[in-house]
Amino acid sequence: MKNHIRDLRATRNMSQEELARVLEVSRQTVNAIENDKYDPMLPLAFKIAKVFGKTIEDIFQPDRQKK
Amino acid sequence: MEQINTKTGARKSHRGLLSAVFFVLAYLAARIVLKQEEFDELVRVLAALLPVVPFAWMLWEFIKGIQGMDELKQRIQLEALVVAFPLTLILLMTLGLLEIAIKLPPEDLSYRHVWAMLPLFYYLGLAFAKRRY
Repeated sequence: MKNHIRDLRATRNMSQEELARVLEVSRQTVNAIENDKYDPMLPLAFKIAKVFGKTIEDIFQPDRQKK
Repeated sequence: MEQINTKTGARKSHRGLLSAVFFVLAYLAARIVLKQEEFDELVRVLAALLPVVPFAWMLWEFIKGIQGMDELKQRIQLEALVVAFPLTLILLMTLGLLEIAIKLPPEDLSYRHVWAMLPLFYYLGLAFAKRRY
C-alpha cells in the first residue's frame, strides 16, 4: 500500500512527532506507515484521512506491483 | 514498552518494574527455602507457590502494557511471540527427543530450565520484529 502522508505532512509543516500526537500513536508508527512498512488498520486510516481533510482513497493507494 | 500517553505509560512501567522486582525477590526467597531440607512439607509447598502471585501480577501488568500500545507496537509484540512460541516448541521437542536418546543431566538440561529460556526467545523475537519496522 502506497500513501502520500509524508507529502501531506510536509505541506502542513507537521513533524512526525506532531502527527503522531494528533493520531495518538507513536512516532515509530507514523514513520513505518510513511515508509510503506506498515499498513494501518481502518480506524487509524480514517483518523489520518480526517487530520488531512481527505478520504482514505485520496491518501492510500494499493501497491500495483504486489499481487 | 513505549506508551502513547507519557504519564500513564510511566505509571504503568513503574508498576511493571515493581511487579518484576517482587517476582525476583519471591523467586529467590523460594529457592533459598527450597534448598533447606529441614523445613516441613507445608512450608516448602508454600515457598514453591510464593512466586506465583507476583508472577501473575507481572503478567497482568505486561498484558495491560500491551493493551496500552498503539496498533504497530501490538503487532510487533505479536510477531515477537510468533518467533518465541515455535522456538520454545523446538527446544521442548529437542529436549524430549534427546531425553529418549540419552540420559540428560537433570540439573543442566531439564524441563525445569525451559521457562527461563522463554524471555530470551521473546526478546530475540522482539528484536527481530522491531527491525522490520
